Amino acid sequence: MISRSRAALRLLRRLFVVLPVLAFLAVVPFALAGGTTVHGLAPLPDDQKVPLKVLPPGAFDPDQGPSDVVFPHQSLTLRFNHAKHLGKDVGATCKTCHGAAYKSSSSSDSLIPAGLVCDACHSTDHTDRASVKPGDEDMGQCGFCHQGYKTGDGNKVAELEMPRANLLFNHKAHLDRNIACAQCHGQIDQIELATRDQLPRMRGCFHCHQGPDSASSGDAKSACDTCHIRGERGSNIKTVFASGALQPPRWLHNAEHTPDFIERHRWIAADDSAFCANCHKEDFCTDCHDGRVRPRNIHPNDWLNMHPIEARMATQSCRSCHQEQSFCLDCHMRVGVSESSPPDAKEAQRFHPPKSIWSDPPRKPGHHSFEAERNLNACVSCHTERDCVQCHGASGVGAGFDPHQDGFTAGCSTQFRRNPRPCFVCHEKGDTALSACK
Amino acid sequence: MIVSFSPARRRRVGTFFSAGLVAFLCAPSAHALDGEVTGDVQGQFYDVRSPGGTNVLERRRVTAMVGVSGYDLLEAPPSDPRAPNITLRARVRYDADYGANSETSDPTANSAAGFVPGFSPGNVDLMYAYVEGRRFFKGLMGFKLGRQYVTDVLGWWSFDGGQVSVATPFFVKAEVYGGLEQRGGMPLSTSRFQGDGVWVGDRSGFPAGSQSLYPQFQPVAAGPAFGAAIESTGVTWIHGRLTYRRVYNTGGSNVTEYTPALTTPATYEGWRISSEKLGYAMDANLSSVGGLKGGLVYDLYRADITQGFASLEGYIGTKVTIGADFDYYVPSFDADSIWNFFAAEPRSDAALRAEVTVDRHLSFSANGHLRIFTVQTAPFAYPAGNVSSLGATPTSNYFPTNGHPFDEGGNLSARWRKGNTTLGFRGAGDFGDEGDRVGGDVSGEHVIETRYIVGGRVGVWQWDDKLRPDRSTTSGNYVASLGYRFAAESRAMVDWEHDINSLVGQRFRVMVSLKFGVTK
Repeated sequence: MISRSRAALRLLRRLFVVLPVLAFLAVVPFALAGGTTVHGLAPLPDDQKVPLKVLPPGAFDPDQGPSDVVFPHQSLTLRFNHAKHLGKDVGATCKTCHGAAYKSSSSSDSLIPAGLVCDACHSTDHTDRASVKPGDEDMGQCGFCHQGYKTGDGNKVAELEMPRANLLFNHKAHLDRNIACAQCHGQIDQIELATRDQLPRMRGCFHCHQGPDSASSGDAKSACDTCHIRGERGSNIKTVFASGALQPPRWLHNAEHTPDFIERHRWIAADDSAFCANCHKEDFCTDCHDGRVRPRNIHPNDWLNMHPIEARMATQSCRSCHQEQSFCLDCHMRVGVSESSPPDAKEAQRFHPPKSIWSDPPRKPGHHSFEAERNLNACVSCHTERDCVQCHGASGVGAGFDPHQDGFTAGCSTQFRRNPRPCFVCHEKGDTALSACK
Repeated sequence: MIVSFSPARRRRVGTFFSAGLVAFLCAPSAHALDGEVTGDVQGQFYDVRSPGGTNVLERRRVTAMVGVSGYDLLEAPPSDPRAPNITLRARVRYDADYGANSETSDPTANSAAGFVPGFSPGNVDLMYAYVEGRRFFKGLMGFKLGRQYVTDVLGWWSFDGGQVSVATPFFVKAEVYGGLEQRGGMPLSTSRFQGDGVWVGDRSGFPAGSQSLYPQFQPVAAGPAFGAAIESTGVTWIHGRLTYRRVYNTGGSNVTEYTPALTTPATYEGWRISSEKLGYAMDANLSSVGGLKGGLVYDLYRADITQGFASLEGYIGTKVTIGADFDYYVPSFDADSIWNFFAAEPRSDAALRAEVTVDRHLSFSANGHLRIFTVQTAPFAYPAGNVSSLGATPTSNYFPTNGHPFDEGGNLSARWRKGNTTLGFRGAGDFGDEGDRVGGDVSGEHVIETRYIVGGRVGVWQWDDKLRPDRSTTSGNYVASLGYRFAAESRAMVDWEHDINSLVGQRFRVMVSLKFGVTK
């Protein structure tokens, strides 16, 4: 029994020693492998974060890359080290490989160099793409540049997918103006593999594109269709692509279409008459602002029952979309709640609070004058001016209950001179009260 | 004064426009034409019950819109996006309620006991119809002719007429426009864009000698208008627009609406101001810091600032925006309306908000706000010897001191979008002297195989009406939607809405819609 226990103890001790050693031995190869940096697979070795100063102008820190609608996602199957090629050892320039850019006038032009460009240094032969011949050295092997290449796989290489950018761009025009590559693409000489992250940021374009849209010298104009593809059917720019829908960025008027944008959009529309029209046609606006179908993202379900309290609290501005003396009044008359409702429709039941609260003193919340001061628009949605004049007119039943604002007579001559019609609704032409405004 | 044309003048104007239209349509250089026809048909079927339950309106609404557009009507090199361009756009709408009985729109039926002036059971209006030219004279000039919209700080407005804009090399463009305001009661028009406060429409169907029938319903007359604006252009980080507009009222207006029916109404005739406003709005943005927006409207008729806003935003990193907003508003009406002279006090909103864009799919926004009212607060007292005395002169204002009661509230919303799926959440609460309202809903839409649309919205809302406690309730409601997308711009949808609350029990609303677009 004792010997069994000792044996178990010995085994346990051995395991204490052996297991850590095995674990160490298992980890070392991975650690060694992880420490071997393979260059040219990412913008910086080991996928390090690219410093802001190296990214294209206009990038943010942290940067989320360019729009994936304008520059759809790519599948890069090449390993390439720009820093090495542009460095002193190789001494290449951008033009060495991307010479086509100097003649390119369209964003659909392919500016990725053909394999032939590589042949001179890599001792390869890409003359016949159906039968590319590798070089003798390591850097001449297909797998040196083509990721995932397998010998004996029929000399196939993985396809490079680089969808055309969804914008207009004329490289030649920019290069002719001595606009260097780095002004749009950033410090390519400091990165290895150029990815979507090295494509221009719209914010960077605006460093130059701030010119008036018309009548200016030069072409760096700010009109959207200088760079964006013109939309079909009258839209200034095309907004829907297979890669998604264009949305304005936050830094442009702060027009980012966040969930609360519907509450903020009026400020932008008020300021820039054409900004919204770059993407939207009138129909988009009329659907709500002159619409006949309740938009549920503005007025939730059961709106018909909820709208009186909403209107009274002024949670939304009815006037933004409705003319109260027609849209609101029409329905309120038909349903019988308006003072002007037709006799057949007029509801017997009182809509407002009891007379003791609504009309009699003391004046406090709930009294009609108090409520009218708070939100006169709510009154206008049901009443015509005749309803008020019956009591507030100078010679009506309630004559003497002056509805004018404090200090009214100090400035009323302006109104009387420009349009005296409302004065005559309550006051006779000879009314002495009018003399204060003449 | 009512603007009218003699038959001869009408013929001349007609000939002019006909010739222009023929020349336009037959323009030999129009080979680059890109045409479009769009259509929307919506049917809505639901009942509206009056608060007392006496009346139930059976609403059987059909709205149909047809739009026609022609783009790129001038020959232009495809490689030159800055070449002159002409566009034609028009849209007509038919809006009917087949649930309305004939009495509602017939002033002669049954002693007009059910007549609702201004209501039309089947109105046709021309929403817009214009020819627009851009970038003429090397980009210097643009124009727009026809029924068109103007959008700026003075509001969203429509008129029939012309607009010319001139861009300068000095980062400024100017525009002037003039014509007739679109007014309800005029042919092919709606009242959406005219000043509020005056009940106005077409009295032409009223029987002869019926001035005393709804005397407060004023006859519509033309509203000549003009305006001008100066707007910055080119620079994207700062922008501003200064705008001015004047609209006139013409024709006669009844000013003795409250006199007994047998009295012949007295009218006020002549050109007079309908509205005259000057507005300015601006926006400045530093992309890594934040932005500032502001604007105000000065009503030259009221001699008063009627609207103002300011919004300051700060960008925290690339995902968070915080903002402080202030919004000022005083009700203002058509200058024909007596309500401009009522003691309508300013209302201001002060809000703090935050928006968080988590990633390309998910974003949140939230705000908290105070709605500050102004009311006159001195105790009410009948002035001695001035109670209900016919013919008495109104005394001076009784309520010289002000107080500022306020409502408070907040919103929270979220949205998730990915591929063909959108999910949204909205919650809102507002609490004040007049009532409380709190609730929220969850909505979603998913497109299956790019064709089949499934959507819905489920909500719970509770409101407490402090003026009418019997109108307080909690509502549970949902909408279920199914649709089929024929093409990018064409789809058919059916919506079923079911609302449940203690005021009306069960309410249903069915909506069918068909939307299509055909392009050349």
